[in-house]
Amino acid sequence: MRAIDIHTHPVCFAKGYSRREADHFADLGLAQSIKRMVSLGDVLVFGARPNEKQIRFINDQTHQLMRWRPEYYIGFCCLNPVLGERPVLQEVERCIALGFRGIKLEISNNARDACMKPVMAAAARWNVPVLQHTWSMTNIKQRRMHSDPEDTAHLARRHPNVQVIMAHLTGCGYRGVLEAKGVDNLVVDTSGGFPESGILDYALQHLGADHIVYGSDLPIRETGVTLQRTLAGKMSPAEREKVLYGNARRILKL
Amino acid sequence: MLIDTHVHLGRWPFTFAPDYTAKQLAAHLRAHGISHALVSPLDAVLAPDPLPANRALFSAVRRLPALLPIPTVNPALAHWHEQLDFAATGPLRTIKLYPNFHNYRLDSHRLSAFFTEVQKRKLKLIISVRIEDDRHRYFALRMKDVPTKQIAAFLKLYPKLHPLVVGLGLPNVRELAKLKCENFSADTSFMEWLESISTLVREFPARRILFGSHAPFFITEASLAKLKTAQLSAANRAAICSGNAKRFFGL
Repeated sequence: MRAIDIHTHPVCFAKGYSRREADHFADLGLAQSIKRMVSLGDVLVFGARPNEKQIRFINDQTHQLMRWRPEYYIGFCCLNPVLGERPVLQEVERCIALGFRGIKLEISNNARDACMKPVMAAAARWNVPVLQHTWSMTNIKQRRMHSDPEDTAHLARRHPNVQVIMAHLTGCGYRGVLEAKGVDNLVVDTSGGFPESGILDYALQHLGADHIVYGSDLPIRETGVTLQRTLAGKMSPAEREKVLYGNARRILKL
Repeated sequence: MLIDTHVHLGRWPFTFAPDYTAKQLAAHLRAHGISHALVSPLDAVLAPDPLPANRALFSAVRRLPALLPIPTVNPALAHWHEQLDFAATGPLRTIKLYPNFHNYRLDSHRLSAFFTEVQKRKLKLIISVRIEDDRHRYFALRMKDVPTKQIAAFLKLYPKLHPLVVGLGLPNVRELAKLKCENFSADTSFMEWLESISTLVREFPARRILFGSHAPFFITEASLAKLKTAQLSAANRAAICSGNAKRFFGL
């Protein structure tokens, strides 16, 4: 078995930023067959809407992880789309030059907002995926800044030339799976919440193994738990290889 | 030996979690190396009276010694004496409470006679503070998890009761520690962080941690993974896997 974890935060709320901790984090993954990890950055350390300087700080930390362990960590460029076109494009260009392979969007705005246009244009220009934080807003009434699965699916439909990763399968829930159904350029990552029974099998049934990628949300979650909740899905060995490794490898162009 | 202290039997209408029969549940747990499990009836959580579901559970597990039935009691109902009478017939003389589903506060003075009687009868107590992630709860079930401050108030009100509180997360345990609450044990089902159990053992006495899978809500393999990958001493591992449950429930 081998896996790529497409959703991790080795530095989380200002903790974990040292060579020793980066190594420990990677070693924990390697011990459980996680061959590579995508570091999405310490995305909430400055709150929901970091300014330009703070965004650069977060991405510089991710870059340092990539330099410490280039064979292990893959960086995604964290953005605040609300900052506007110029800062967004400048930061994407800077991060791409540093070797980042994707864009991470948290809760600065809703995925339907107009400010997403330059972000998606940059993703298309550099041919990199966009991982959008997503959670069902049925109970969490914060849709102004958070994205419901309906919003992320809408984003993917509006930009069919960009690969969108809808984060948090468990947080998206059964309704979220149905929102993602039939959107070719959309995959859902398996992270988010506790290891709830039933949801992965439902996603496999409706989306198929080509549209699901393994993600853990470490360190909020634990690798053993997130791997086992994925391995417990009703999949053929070929489908399991896609979910754990192949789909991420394709999306990240490894 | 592995004893699972947090298992339900029955169907939860808001998810597609497996709906095992008692026999299937016993086989499922056995296949995962779980030798005994404390099982409560899910039907009792939403029913107007838990007694019919408790009776059905006792009947369903009668020939399955690996499943130890834990009846649900709703102390807000007038016939709680009758519920306790039935609970006392169970093999573990243990009751389980769901304060948020049954609409009462643990620290309410109207329940003092009930908890006095629980102590008098020497019944053991399990308190469920949540059975699902409230962010994903069915939208029409407008309730909150049992607040940690309420648990703390309850623990201070009844210092001689030492309940097993199931469904606590690491932040809840930290909050209870800050509030100087020590007369409780906790299960592992909702404890998750990087290196969950090792982290928990560093902050919370291992003798008060009991393994709980929360099957069938949670994937059993995933709940077990926390234990399997944890860096623990042999003594702590044995205590969490079975020793603490044996001592707590007199198994």
